[in-house]
Amino acid sequence: MASSLIALMVLSLFLGCGCWLFFLWAVKKGEFSDIERPKHRMLEDDDPPPKTKEDY
Amino acid sequence: MISGAGLDDFYRRRDWQDVGLAPQAFQGQYHDNYLARFVYPANEGSAVDIIIDGIRCASCVWLNEKIIARLPGVLAVRVNYATGRARVMFDPTNVTPAAIFSRIAQIGYAPRPYTETAAREAAGHEQKDLLYRFGTAIFLTMQLMAYAFALYAGYFQGMEPQMKNFLQFFSLLVTTPVVFYCGWPFLAGAWRGMANRSPNMELLISIGALSSYGYSLYATFAGGEVYYETAAMIVTLILAGRLLENAAKRRASGGIERLLGLCSGQAQRFAGETLESVDPAELRPGDLILVAPGERFPVDGKIVEGSTDVDESAATGEALALVKGAGDNIIAGSSNLTGAVRVRCEREAADSFIARVARLVEEAQSRRAPIQGVADRVSACFVPAVLTLSLATFCWQYSHGGAFGACLMSALAVVVIACPCALGLATPTAILAGTGAAAAAGVIFKGGDILERLSRVTVAVFDKTGTLTCGRPELVGIRPAGGTKRRELLCLAAAIESGSLHPIGKAIRDHAKANGIAYPTGTELKGVAGGGVTGRVAGEPVALGSIPFMKKLGVVGVPGAITAPDGEMVVCVARGGRYCGTMVLKDRMRDDAPGLVSYLNRAAVRTLLLSGDRQVSAGQAASASGIATGIGGLSPADKAAHIDRLRGEGATVLMVGDGINDAPALSAADVGCAVAGGTDIAIETSDLVLVKPDLERLALAHRMARRTMSVVRQNLVWAFLYNAIGIPLAMTGRLTPIYAAAAMALSSVCVVGNSLRLMRRTRG
Repeated sequence: MASSLIALMVLSLFLGCGCWLFFLWAVKKGEFSDIERPKHRMLEDDDPPPKTKEDY
Repeated sequence: MISGAGLDDFYRRRDWQDVGLAPQAFQGQYHDNYLARFVYPANEGSAVDIIIDGIRCASCVWLNEKIIARLPGVLAVRVNYATGRARVMFDPTNVTPAAIFSRIAQIGYAPRPYTETAAREAAGHEQKDLLYRFGTAIFLTMQLMAYAFALYAGYFQGMEPQMKNFLQFFSLLVTTPVVFYCGWPFLAGAWRGMANRSPNMELLISIGALSSYGYSLYATFAGGEVYYETAAMIVTLILAGRLLENAAKRRASGGIERLLGLCSGQAQRFAGETLESVDPAELRPGDLILVAPGERFPVDGKIVEGSTDVDESAATGEALALVKGAGDNIIAGSSNLTGAVRVRCEREAADSFIARVARLVEEAQSRRAPIQGVADRVSACFVPAVLTLSLATFCWQYSHGGAFGACLMSALAVVVIACPCALGLATPTAILAGTGAAAAAGVIFKGGDILERLSRVTVAVFDKTGTLTCGRPELVGIRPAGGTKRRELLCLAAAIESGSLHPIGKAIRDHAKANGIAYPTGTELKGVAGGGVTGRVAGEPVALGSIPFMKKLGVVGVPGAITAPDGEMVVCVARGGRYCGTMVLKDRMRDDAPGLVSYLNRAAVRTLLLSGDRQVSAGQAASASGIATGIGGLSPADKAAHIDRLRGEGATVLMVGDGINDAPALSAADVGCAVAGGTDIAIETSDLVLVKPDLERLALAHRMARRTMSVVRQNLVWAFLYNAIGIPLAMTGRLTPIYAAAAMALSSVCVVGNSLRLMRRTRG
């Protein structure tokens, strides 16, 4: 029982390590340098938006 | 230009409405040989970093990206909204950097080459460093919690000692880097605090983390219960607070640099009869320079030829453009609106008005001693008290025949129970919740300590122009003459001003539009620098301008002089060579100023108005908004000195302003508040920004600050309550692990829950 538990714990440690390395990589790539702009980017399109009625 | 590129969308997207820079601005201002040194090689081609001044909303970012990307030869462009910085990759054989710069300038933004200063680079590194530490802490703490829950279960249900030991060892493994790597900033801060003999917040955090780590380490090898999760949790949660605070501060770091940027760029110096472009720093007193309309004056000087309208609002806060001709003085940083002028330099760039203001800001910032925060004051008494109690426990038990190891455990247990997460969390969580709620209501605090300082403000100092007033002229009176009707006069004036970018023209057009008057577009419009406008409306010659301008045109029936109250400005209108009335313009008071002042009076905050304007208008503005005293005729340095004096008398000063002339005062005050629509430099030197030009929000911010501080105090009381029960138990050695764990969890939940109340009650 103990050995299977140890194996699981080591496995979870490795999984976590993977996520951790992924995070370090993301910081290095500058993923977090501008957290304001991307949320607006998805709302943009190159075509003009459909005309809306003036009086709303 | 924007429509031409098929980007009309911009006008639908943007959320502000004023005219940008004059379109005729920026002609041949950018030179490739000057810009070449900012270009560096990139993957395919070259790259250049550009600071784009004037980015105010997400649409600006969108527009700039689109407009630059459409330039042939540009490979990629990315604009960072947070820093207002663009990185453009381009193919140097197809496009020059100067073309990119003028492209940005044409759509009304002011581009400047970006060079990374040491300070900015350091701030960027610090943020990254914190992110690394925080990310690592999160990952390891999550692992740790899994083991901790297993150990909790083991405590209740029983567990093989071998298994328990194994889990404890694993916990030790993951906690060690959290405490010593992720928690390093706190440990270093605590060491500095001890070296200065001023116990600070960091010392409290470090003692909390280290004592529970040390206790658990001992227990791991000697047998007993471990509290690794306490150590890891303290570090992780407080790192999270640090990270958020740092991100807010980073935006504020470029203040002085930006101020000096007003006078950067190139100056056109006469070398004989030809022009050469030089760096403003190379200008010497006596040099003759040409300043084109739309440019800013690079140095202080005197006009020797030509006349123009000058917008000095950057320097003096005066909203109305001034007419300047040969012999008039020019202040560096003010912008030339209408005509090209030759200027004789009188001072070197390093000694110009802007440079002097920059120095004042720098001085004020270095002079401002940090106010000791609640948390630091608590730590200052609490840390020594706990250490004494812990020592007393050890001595008492040892002298009563306790075993050395057991006595040491009891002493450590006192420290562990006395420094629960709750105490460390009391301030950061309340301040995070408070700043978050304030941000949602349109008030940006640039750091947690600002809330605390704002809550203790005793004197509020206001600037006049742009803060208590709207900062741009409005039409307040129409006085027709010679049988002309009011509507007719307004219609004429709006038509003749239909092409004008001048603030007066805009005010007249806005008034006409607001009154539903449809006006024709004037033809043959001609702006005469420093005088007025002439043209034709429906075939008839029409003129608008000052009285001397009218006389020069030979208009019949112009009155000799028109008396106008202080702060008002009068322009005359003539049709067919005959005088037909005047328009009165005034910089109007904001409607919400009296409301704010009466709120501050109720909150027992003294109010004061400091203005660069004349004493009379300062007094008038003060009485109109209910402010007790108004002092006029003050230079930027005078304002800062006045605030220093108030602080010297023991007052905590709030300064509200918007102009460059307010920047030294904003940084000298305990809390500097900038109003939206103010100059960038005011926003960057301030601690607190109102994102909408609505003074009522300042009252909201003040209420928010006071409420946050009362929550902090409640939190501290909570944390102490647990200590009051826990410390006696620990001292007598009767502290059971289950009580310790429960106390820590319960007190933390209470504190966090109490802080979260701040988020809920902000509406309204």
